Amino acid sequence: MFKNISYFWLALSLLVVQIFILDQLSIAMWLRPMLFPLIVILLPMEWRTIWVLMVSLIVGVVLDVSLGGAGLYTATLLPLAVVRSTVMYLTTHRSVEHGDQTALLSRMALRQLMIYVGAMLLLHHALFFWLEAMSVALLWQLLATILFSTLLSLIIAWPIVRLFISKIVR
Amino acid sequence: MHRLIEFIKRIYVLVIFLLLEVGALWSYATSSSYAEAKILSRTTIVGGAISGTITDIGHFFSLPDQNRRLTARVAELNEELESMEMQLLEMGMDSTAMGIYEDGDHHFRYHPARVVSMTTNRKHNIVVLDRGTVDGIARDMGVITPDNELVGYVVSCSEHYAVVMPMLNTDFSTGGRIVDNGHVCVIRWPGETRYEVEAVELSIYSEPKRGMDVEVRSERLPVGIKVGTIQEYALNTAKSAYSAKLRIAADMATLDNVLIVENTHYGEIEELMKQVEN
Repeated sequence: MFKNISYFWLALSLLVVQIFILDQLSIAMWLRPMLFPLIVILLPMEWRTIWVLMVSLIVGVVLDVSLGGAGLYTATLLPLAVVRSTVMYLTTHRSVEHGDQTALLSRMALRQLMIYVGAMLLLHHALFFWLEAMSVALLWQLLATILFSTLLSLIIAWPIVRLFISKIVR
Repeated sequence: MHRLIEFIKRIYVLVIFLLLEVGALWSYATSSSYAEAKILSRTTIVGGAISGTITDIGHFFSLPDQNRRLTARVAELNEELESMEMQLLEMGMDSTAMGIYEDGDHHFRYHPARVVSMTTNRKHNIVVLDRGTVDGIARDMGVITPDNELVGYVVSCSEHYAVVMPMLNTDFSTGGRIVDNGHVCVIRWPGETRYEVEAVELSIYSEPKRGMDVEVRSERLPVGIKVGTIQEYALNTAKSAYSAKLRIAADMATLDNVLIVENTHYGEIEELMKQVEN
């Protein structure tokens, strides 16, 4: 129960940070950090996909309503819920099967955890910026935005991930 | 029956995901003219035709006003032409001089077009026009209002439609020039308000003042295309250049009739630029 409440507070904090701080920043056109995918990325791996999907839907709808995304945030968060296990397997060679997967994230090596979080953020950012631009006319600019924004998101996200996993998940 | 239930159990997450995803994408695709236009220009001519018809209906009801404005503009241009002819006659310019003048100014073609849809509330706004490649429209052509005010540049074309990147797009950038003293600058939109753009990299010797007009300086457009008027200006932190906020001349929220400007020498200029770059 305590853990679930912690996930709720994490989600709420990340949404507040995203809506009131990160989305108001205009560092550069190609630097737009997004932390809210962490809400989906850090959900317990043992959760059934349908519940992760529902959480993604709620977070997506909240962001769409708050930031005027009109479906963009939802459309880019939902795939994360479905491909979470696959990305986990592809990046860390850990298969998520039914059974005791409790605190899988906390048992991963730091390098593996970073690869998993980075890959998920990259996937989300690529989908988000491509959908937003809906064009490959300015391909280099699009790639730079995806790459640099993912990098900045990862840099900001990493301490949060470490802190949350060490204090709450473990 | 048992097998069917088993099958549904196996794929229900995927089905729910697909339904939600399609719903979200549909909501996004129909939420703004930008997304709609991108999809329209790429995938469906039918959708474009429907959108065009709806706009046609709206346009039909505004025809009297449009006609009045166009007639006024034609009259104004006629007067201007007459006055210029008179001036030339008075100056006694010979035919050679006149020939040079005409050659220099006649490599711009104007294609009238109408706005099918547009957006002004996003960071990457776009305008969709009802002219496409079949009408001779191509990427990089300039777009202005009938009053010679800058709107933007064509960024992509389908057969019957053109997508324009207006000034109100954070990716937009073009050259500008203060009309009063000729100092050049870069025009861009910081994404703050739809009534203002920014003129940056103005020389410290440019002495900008409130109320000065800024026009476009680009090989894609003729001289005299107004961008806006200086509202505020300030030196940057390094005190190496001025930045100014310009009140946009064109009323971007009520765009309807526009002119697409084609520089018939643009290909040649582009070729030269490429040679220099290489």
